[in-house]
Amino acid sequence: MSVEKLCTELEGILLKRIQTDQLFLPTLPAVAMKVLEILRDPDAGMKEVALVMEKDPVLAARALRMATSAAFAGAGKKITLQEALARLGTKILKGLLVEASAQKLFISKNPQINEALRTLWEHSVAVGVLARDVLALTGAVDSDSAYLAGLLHDVGKPVVASVLLELERQLTDVYQKGWIDSGEWLDVIGKIHRPIGVALAEKWALPPPIVACVRDAAEYDKSNRHSLANAVCFANALAKKSGIFAGALDADDNDALIMIGRSAIGISDDILRTLTKGLRERVTGLYD
Amino acid sequence: MPAILTVDDSRAVRTIVAKQVKELGFEVLEAEDGVQGLEQLQTATVDLVLLDVTMPNMDGPTMLQKMRESGNQTPVIMLTSESKRSIVAGAMKAGISDYILKPFKPEELRSKVLSVLQGEPGAQGIGSADGGSAAAAAELAAKAEMSVPAPPSAGPSTNAARFVDVMVVDDMENVAKKLRSMLPAHVSLVGFTSAQSALASCREKVYRVVLIDTEIPDVNSGVLAQQTRVLQPHAAVLALALRTANDVTKEVKDQGFDDVVFKPFRPESIDDFLLQYFDNQDFLVVEDNVLKVAPFTGRADRVDRFYQRLQGVYGDALEKVAAACHDEVVLDMGAPPLEGDRLPKFIVAVIGKAKEYGMTLSLVGPAEARKALGGYTETKDLKFFASVQEARAGAAA
Repeated sequence: MSVEKLCTELEGILLKRIQTDQLFLPTLPAVAMKVLEILRDPDAGMKEVALVMEKDPVLAARALRMATSAAFAGAGKKITLQEALARLGTKILKGLLVEASAQKLFISKNPQINEALRTLWEHSVAVGVLARDVLALTGAVDSDSAYLAGLLHDVGKPVVASVLLELERQLTDVYQKGWIDSGEWLDVIGKIHRPIGVALAEKWALPPPIVACVRDAAEYDKSNRHSLANAVCFANALAKKSGIFAGALDADDNDALIMIGRSAIGISDDILRTLTKGLRERVTGLYD
Repeated sequence: MPAILTVDDSRAVRTIVAKQVKELGFEVLEAEDGVQGLEQLQTATVDLVLLDVTMPNMDGPTMLQKMRESGNQTPVIMLTSESKRSIVAGAMKAGISDYILKPFKPEELRSKVLSVLQGEPGAQGIGSADGGSAAAAAELAAKAEMSVPAPPSAGPSTNAARFVDVMVVDDMENVAKKLRSMLPAHVSLVGFTSAQSALASCREKVYRVVLIDTEIPDVNSGVLAQQTRVLQPHAAVLALALRTANDVTKEVKDQGFDDVVFKPFRPESIDDFLLQYFDNQDFLVVEDNVLKVAPFTGRADRVDRFYQRLQGVYGDALEKVAAACHDEVVLDMGAPPLEGDRLPKFIVAVIGKAKEYGMTLSLVGPAEARKALGGYTETKDLKFFASVQEARAGAAA
């Protein structure tokens, strides 16, 4: 099957699953287990839980989705992850984590695909960290929301990846057929993750500023220079420049985004160097 | 004098740019479009071009392309309202040095103009240089030279070499030496006798306070202060001036200085200087739910200032304690001055603010302070302890 055909069919399958609430998403077992461990400590607060949980975009999105649902009287409101967790409470959160841990593991038989999966995760965390720092440096009050927006800007990627892994298992285990290589695998994700991410974000009624970042974080909004979308756009380019990304990269295009963002958001070069210093160390650790 | 060419079809933009650039001490040439811009480049030597994108007759990218094709490698900063990445990426390939999005702040223009003229790398190497900044800092530290070294006990570490507390720019070498002798050893100081060497150092180090003589021969101190501010945006820039019958403080502030330090230096004015720029951090320390005030050690005429400073900082400190969800806040006053009714007035203000956050106040201090507060209705029933430990035990009981 050609990559184009696979993309078309996969997009159709995913959109249908999203609309009918039949999408199963794997999460990082290490994150879920660590959060459960924290919750066992009666003195632990939701701030500590949020700090760990924000390492996994899918888990964070699930918590956010639940907290902003009508059942919690919070539909459509802007909210941080910590606020979302406080709204859910320990009991519901534990249920969510147990459910999440029970999903199939996020592993491929192809080591290169596994490496790409890790990088997809790390890129999301890196964009979250950078977006938060960028807005905090500009004095914007919304820097915590920026983390979440950065974390979720590519939420479609793990969604597509999870279904690709499901297909891989079916084809290789059940039908003993070959599977696409890591280059094609990333190509498929790059081609369809955006519409899938938007459909998911809208279906889950994530806060509108976050949906805007999922929809398009590729150009700057000149009318609102310190917006979440601008911070995420800039952070995305910086994370790529730092080498934390998977897939193809147009280096000239990315450098232009950094050049524009420095002026649009108002970040000096000294601050820029500080932002990216030690970034890789800050985003590794919880994937395994 | 470096010359800068601004190419923009908007007269308003050219006027603003020309004003900012002239204030930096540079000559300015103007052109309305790319055609005029290229003509100017044929007749004049220019050190930097500030180039708009969308213009009639010939747009910015075309002018840039023609410049490069003809072998003209003059640095170009793109100054535009165009933010499409494809256009900026194209301009970057043609070798622009930097980019400014309109509308822009004067500081951004000044900073980028100076950076480009001084050969700064701009955004190049960002990201891929993870740790590169540390190497750059080490290189800068290696280059660092302390013109007026502090006593040996305060020798700078590798890190500290880049961060210097005070820069003195005065054509009389003795001024820096005199100030050095009056400052405590832990305050580092570098002295320069020329504006050029001072500005060069501003590119390499980070200063907390910059003192500039108002009477350096052949130097406009106001312009030097502005250039310093661009390079050291976080530093306080103060004038060094002689006392005269004029209102010197107003005069130097009009020139762009933050304040003035008078020559010859007097011990009390150096005390004030230290108090204002170096001793604030330890004045009121927050640890858990305890606010600890630094002991008052000054003369009687400093009492008002002591309480004024407390009034200025206690609100934020209380907010920190409240944000950590404490129900009780402990204020350790150390050894407060007891003259007049300043202490009870201050304590009443703290009680009120703490109440707004839903917290109760316990006070720690000497018996004299307890006695002084006992004479006022608002403070006589206050929970008072001799030590922080006792206050915590009292709260837990």
